[in-house]
Amino acid sequence: MGVYSGLVYPAVLTVLGALAAGGLVTLVWVRAHTALKWIVTATYIVTVVQLIAAAVVLFGGIEVSLVTTVGYMLTSLILLPLMGIGRLGEPEAAALDPDPNRPVLAPDQVARVDAVAALIVAIALAVVAWRLEILLAAGT
Amino acid sequence: MNPVARIGLILAYAVLGLAATGRSVVQIGTKFAEAPLPYGLSGASAVVYVVIAVALWRGAHSIALLGTAVELLGVLVVGTWGYAQPELWPAHTVWSGFGSGYGWVPLVLPVVALTLLVRQRRRQEPDARPKITT
Repeated sequence: MGVYSGLVYPAVLTVLGALAAGGLVTLVWVRAHTALKWIVTATYIVTVVQLIAAAVVLFGGIEVSLVTTVGYMLTSLILLPLMGIGRLGEPEAAALDPDPNRPVLAPDQVARVDAVAALIVAIALAVVAWRLEILLAAGT
Repeated sequence: MNPVARIGLILAYAVLGLAATGRSVVQIGTKFAEAPLPYGLSGASAVVYVVIAVALWRGAHSIALLGTAVELLGVLVVGTWGYAQPELWPAHTVWSGFGSGYGWVPLVLPVVALTLLVRQRRRQEPDARPKITT
Protein backbone atom coordinates (compact mmCIF):
# COMPACT_ATOMS: atom_id res chain seq x y z
CA MET A 1 0.00 0.00 0.00
CA GLY A 2 2.96 2.28 0.70
CA VAL A 3 4.10 2.16 -2.93
CA TYR A 4 0.56 2.83 -4.11
CA SER A 5 -0.03 5.83 -1.82
CA GLY A 6 3.48 7.24 -2.00
CA LEU A 7 4.36 6.73 -5.65
CA VAL A 8 1.57 5.53 -7.95
CA TYR A 9 -1.24 7.76 -6.67
CA PRO A 10 0.82 11.00 -6.81
CA ALA A 11 2.10 10.03 -10.28
CA VAL A 12 -1.47 9.48 -11.48
CA LEU A 13 -2.59 12.86 -10.13
CA THR A 14 0.43 14.59 -11.71
CA VAL A 15 -0.25 13.12 -15.16
CA LEU A 16 -3.97 13.89 -14.84
CA GLY A 17 -3.10 17.47 -13.91
CA ALA A 18 -0.95 17.66 -17.03
CA LEU A 19 -3.82 16.16 -19.06
CA ALA A 20 -6.27 18.80 -17.82
CA ALA A 21 -3.72 21.57 -18.45
CA GLY A 22 -2.97 20.15 -21.92
CA GLY A 23 -6.69 20.10 -22.67
CA LEU A 24 -7.10 23.73 -21.62
CA VAL A 25 -4.09 24.87 -23.64
CA THR A 26 -5.22 22.94 -26.75
CA LEU A 27 -8.68 24.46 -26.46
CA VAL A 28 -7.09 27.91 -26.78
CA TRP A 29 -4.09 27.06 -28.96
CA VAL A 30 -4.86 24.19 -31.36
CA ARG A 31 -1.18 23.59 -32.21
CA ALA A 32 -0.69 22.11 -28.73
CA HIS A 33 -2.69 19.08 -29.93
CA THR A 34 0.52 17.17 -30.67
CA ALA A 35 1.67 17.61 -27.07
CA LEU A 36 -1.78 16.62 -25.83
CA LYS A 37 -1.48 13.32 -27.74
CA TRP A 38 1.73 12.55 -25.84
CA ILE A 39 0.02 13.34 -22.54
CA VAL A 40 -2.89 11.07 -23.53
CA THR A 41 -0.39 8.23 -24.11
CA ALA A 42 1.15 8.95 -20.68
CA THR A 43 -2.34 8.83 -19.16
CA TYR A 44 -2.94 5.38 -20.65
CA ILE A 45 0.38 4.12 -19.22
CA VAL A 46 -0.06 5.62 -15.76
CA THR A 47 -3.66 4.37 -15.51
CA VAL A 48 -2.67 0.82 -16.40
CA VAL A 49 0.16 0.98 -13.83
CA GLN A 50 -2.33 2.29 -11.27
CA LEU A 51 -4.75 -0.57 -11.98
CA ILE A 52 -2.00 -3.17 -11.64
CA ALA A 53 -0.83 -1.60 -8.37
CA ALA A 54 -4.41 -1.40 -7.08
CA ALA A 55 -5.00 -5.06 -8.00
CA VAL A 56 -1.83 -6.06 -6.11
CA VAL A 57 -3.01 -4.14 -3.02
CA LEU A 58 -6.59 -5.44 -3.39
CA PHE A 59 -5.61 -9.09 -3.62
CA GLY A 60 -2.85 -8.70 -1.02
CA GLY A 61 -5.25 -9.55 1.78
CA ILE A 62 -6.95 -6.25 2.69
CA GLU A 63 -10.56 -5.97 3.83
CA VAL A 64 -12.39 -3.86 1.32
CA SER A 65 -15.61 -4.01 -0.74
CA LEU A 66 -14.54 -6.02 -3.78
CA VAL A 67 -17.52 -4.95 -5.93
CA THR A 68 -17.00 -1.21 -5.33
CA THR A 69 -13.23 -1.33 -5.78
CA VAL A 70 -13.37 -3.42 -8.95
CA GLY A 71 -16.18 -1.11 -10.16
CA TYR A 72 -13.92 1.93 -9.80
CA MET A 73 -11.07 0.09 -11.51
CA LEU A 74 -13.29 -0.84 -14.46
CA THR A 75 -14.53 2.77 -14.64
CA SER A 76 -10.92 3.93 -15.08
CA LEU A 77 -10.56 1.58 -18.02
CA ILE A 78 -13.88 2.58 -19.60
CA LEU A 79 -12.99 6.29 -19.40
CA LEU A 80 -9.70 5.93 -21.30
CA PRO A 81 -11.08 5.41 -24.86
CA LEU A 82 -13.24 8.55 -24.50
CA MET A 83 -10.05 10.59 -24.94
CA GLY A 84 -9.92 9.55 -28.60
CA ILE A 85 -13.51 10.51 -29.41
CA GLY A 86 -12.33 13.27 -31.75
CA ARG A 87 -11.21 10.63 -34.25
CA LEU A 88 -14.84 9.59 -34.76
CA GLY A 89 -15.48 12.97 -36.36
CA GLU A 90 -12.68 12.73 -38.91
CA PRO A 91 -14.02 12.69 -42.50
CA GLU A 92 -12.67 9.17 -43.18
CA ALA A 93 -14.42 7.74 -40.12
CA ALA A 94 -17.67 9.63 -40.75
CA ALA A 95 -17.74 8.45 -44.39
CA LEU A 96 -18.04 4.84 -43.22
CA ASP A 97 -21.20 5.64 -41.21
CA PRO A 98 -24.52 6.01 -43.09
CA ASP A 99 -25.95 8.09 -40.19
CA PRO A 100 -26.64 11.61 -41.58
CA ASN A 101 -26.39 13.11 -38.08
CA ARG A 102 -22.81 11.93 -37.66
CA PRO A 103 -20.70 15.07 -37.15
CA VAL A 104 -17.83 15.61 -39.58
CA LEU A 105 -15.07 17.69 -38.03
CA ALA A 106 -12.35 19.90 -39.47
CA PRO A 107 -8.81 19.26 -38.10
CA ASP A 108 -9.01 22.19 -35.66
CA GLN A 109 -12.39 20.92 -34.42
CA VAL A 110 -10.91 17.42 -33.89
CA ALA A 111 -8.20 19.03 -31.74
CA ARG A 112 -10.80 20.98 -29.74
CA VAL A 113 -12.96 17.89 -29.21
CA ASP A 114 -9.88 16.02 -27.98
CA ALA A 115 -9.14 18.97 -25.67
CA VAL A 116 -12.66 18.92 -24.17
CA ALA A 117 -12.48 15.13 -23.84
CA ALA A 118 -9.09 15.38 -22.10
CA LEU A 119 -10.46 17.92 -19.64
CA ILE A 120 -13.57 15.87 -18.77
CA VAL A 121 -11.71 12.54 -18.58
CA ALA A 122 -8.92 14.09 -16.44
CA ILE A 123 -11.44 15.27 -13.85
CA ALA A 124 -13.36 11.97 -13.90
CA LEU A 125 -10.18 9.87 -13.64
CA ALA A 126 -8.87 12.03 -10.78
CA VAL A 127 -12.11 11.49 -8.84
CA VAL A 128 -11.92 7.73 -9.49
CA ALA A 129 -8.25 7.64 -8.40
CA TRP A 130 -9.11 9.58 -5.24
CA ARG A 131 -12.00 7.20 -4.41
CA LEU A 132 -9.74 4.18 -5.03
CA GLU A 133 -7.08 5.62 -2.73
CA ILE A 134 -9.65 6.18 0.05
CA LEU A 135 -11.08 2.67 -0.36
CA LEU A 136 -7.72 0.93 -0.38
CA ALA A 137 -6.35 3.02 2.50
CA ALA A 138 -9.44 2.25 4.60
CA GLY A 139 -8.99 -1.47 4.02
CA THR A 140 -5.38 -1.64 5.21
CA MET B 1 -25.15 23.30 -32.76
CA ASN B 2 -21.40 23.66 -32.91
CA PRO B 3 -20.08 20.06 -33.30
CA VAL B 4 -17.40 20.63 -30.65
CA ALA B 5 -20.03 21.76 -28.13
CA ARG B 6 -22.28 18.86 -29.14
CA ILE B 7 -19.58 16.21 -28.66
CA GLY B 8 -18.51 17.92 -25.42
CA LEU B 9 -22.06 17.59 -24.13
CA ILE B 10 -22.24 13.95 -25.26
CA LEU B 11 -19.01 13.24 -23.40
CA ALA B 12 -20.13 15.03 -20.24
CA TYR B 13 -23.45 13.15 -20.22
CA ALA B 14 -21.71 9.83 -21.00
CA VAL B 15 -19.34 10.27 -18.04
CA LEU B 16 -22.17 11.39 -15.75
CA GLY B 17 -24.28 8.46 -16.98
CA LEU B 18 -21.44 6.08 -16.25
CA ALA B 19 -21.01 7.48 -12.72
CA ALA B 20 -24.74 7.46 -11.99
CA THR B 21 -25.20 3.96 -13.41
CA GLY B 22 -22.34 2.56 -11.33
CA ARG B 23 -23.62 4.25 -8.19
CA SER B 24 -27.24 3.15 -8.69
CA VAL B 25 -26.35 -0.45 -9.58
CA VAL B 26 -24.42 -0.79 -6.30
CA GLN B 27 -27.13 1.01 -4.29
CA ILE B 28 -30.09 -0.87 -5.78
CA GLY B 29 -28.24 -4.18 -5.87
CA THR B 30 -26.98 -4.15 -2.30
CA LYS B 31 -29.15 -1.90 -0.09
CA PHE B 32 -32.32 -0.86 -1.91
CA ALA B 33 -34.59 -1.61 1.09
CA GLU B 34 -32.69 0.90 3.27
CA ALA B 35 -33.72 3.92 1.19
CA PRO B 36 -35.94 3.00 -1.77
CA LEU B 37 -36.77 6.59 -2.81
CA PRO B 38 -33.19 7.95 -3.10
CA TYR B 39 -31.83 4.74 -4.60
CA GLY B 40 -34.72 4.44 -7.06
CA LEU B 41 -34.12 8.05 -8.05
CA SER B 42 -30.41 7.34 -8.56
CA GLY B 43 -31.42 4.65 -11.06
CA ALA B 44 -33.84 7.03 -12.78
CA SER B 45 -31.20 9.77 -13.06
CA ALA B 46 -28.77 7.27 -14.59
CA VAL B 47 -31.36 6.37 -17.24
CA VAL B 48 -32.00 10.08 -17.97
CA TYR B 49 -28.27 10.75 -18.45
CA VAL B 50 -27.79 7.80 -20.79
CA VAL B 51 -30.91 8.73 -22.82
CA ILE B 52 -29.66 12.33 -23.22
CA ALA B 53 -26.19 11.18 -24.31
CA VAL B 54 -27.64 8.78 -26.91
CA ALA B 55 -30.21 11.37 -28.10
CA LEU B 56 -27.48 13.98 -28.61
CA TRP B 57 -25.33 11.48 -30.48
CA ARG B 58 -28.19 10.33 -32.73
CA GLY B 59 -29.32 13.90 -33.39
CA ALA B 60 -32.70 13.38 -31.65
CA HIS B 61 -32.78 16.92 -30.33
CA SER B 62 -36.40 16.86 -29.14
CA ILE B 63 -35.64 13.88 -26.87
CA ALA B 64 -32.44 15.58 -25.69
CA LEU B 65 -34.39 18.76 -24.96
CA LEU B 66 -37.02 16.83 -22.99
CA GLY B 67 -34.33 14.86 -21.15
CA THR B 68 -32.37 17.93 -20.09
CA ALA B 69 -35.60 19.64 -18.96
CA VAL B 70 -36.46 16.57 -16.84
CA GLU B 71 -32.89 16.56 -15.49
CA LEU B 72 -32.98 20.23 -14.50
CA LEU B 73 -36.41 19.80 -12.89
CA GLY B 74 -35.13 16.72 -11.02
CA VAL B 75 -32.05 18.52 -9.68
CA LEU B 76 -34.10 21.51 -8.52
CA VAL B 77 -36.93 19.45 -6.96
CA VAL B 78 -34.69 16.87 -5.27
CA GLY B 79 -32.21 19.55 -4.13
CA THR B 80 -34.95 21.69 -2.58
CA TRP B 81 -36.85 18.70 -1.18
CA GLY B 82 -33.69 17.36 0.43
CA TYR B 83 -33.23 20.61 2.36
CA ALA B 84 -36.93 20.95 3.24
CA GLN B 85 -37.49 17.38 4.47
CA PRO B 86 -34.09 15.73 5.06
CA GLU B 87 -35.74 12.86 6.99
CA LEU B 88 -37.22 11.60 3.70
CA TRP B 89 -33.74 11.37 2.17
CA PRO B 90 -31.65 9.05 4.37
CA ALA B 91 -29.20 8.53 1.51
CA HIS B 92 -27.78 10.80 -1.19
CA THR B 93 -28.59 10.69 -4.88
CA VAL B 94 -26.79 12.29 -7.83
CA TRP B 95 -29.25 15.20 -7.56
CA SER B 96 -29.02 15.66 -3.75
CA GLY B 97 -27.75 19.07 -2.60
CA PHE B 98 -28.31 20.33 -6.18
CA GLY B 99 -25.59 17.92 -7.37
CA SER B 100 -23.00 19.06 -4.81
CA GLY B 101 -21.54 15.53 -4.60
CA TYR B 102 -20.61 15.82 -8.29
CA GLY B 103 -19.23 19.37 -8.15
CA TRP B 104 -22.65 20.86 -9.07
CA VAL B 105 -22.17 19.51 -12.60
CA PRO B 106 -25.72 17.98 -12.51
CA LEU B 107 -27.07 21.53 -11.97
CA VAL B 108 -24.87 23.40 -14.45
CA LEU B 109 -24.89 20.85 -17.29
CA PRO B 110 -28.66 20.89 -18.04
CA VAL B 111 -28.64 24.70 -18.05
CA VAL B 112 -25.81 24.72 -20.61
CA ALA B 113 -27.43 21.93 -22.67
CA LEU B 114 -30.86 23.58 -22.61
CA THR B 115 -29.38 26.91 -23.71
CA LEU B 116 -27.59 25.30 -26.66
CA LEU B 117 -30.54 23.11 -27.67
CA VAL B 118 -33.11 25.94 -27.46
CA ARG B 119 -30.80 28.25 -29.41
CA GLN B 120 -30.43 25.58 -32.09
CA ARG B 121 -34.19 25.01 -32.25
CA ARG B 122 -34.82 28.74 -32.68
CA ARG B 123 -32.26 28.86 -35.46
CA GLN B 124 -33.94 25.93 -37.25
CA GLU B 125 -37.52 27.17 -36.84
CA PRO B 126 -37.53 29.84 -39.57
CA ASP B 127 -36.29 27.25 -42.09
CA ALA B 128 -38.98 24.77 -41.06
CA ARG B 129 -41.88 27.20 -41.64
CA PRO B 130 -43.56 26.87 -45.05
CA LYS B 131 -42.66 29.73 -47.34
CA ILE B 132 -45.65 31.67 -48.73
CA THR B 133 -45.12 32.94 -52.21
CA THR B 134 -47.44 35.40 -53.89
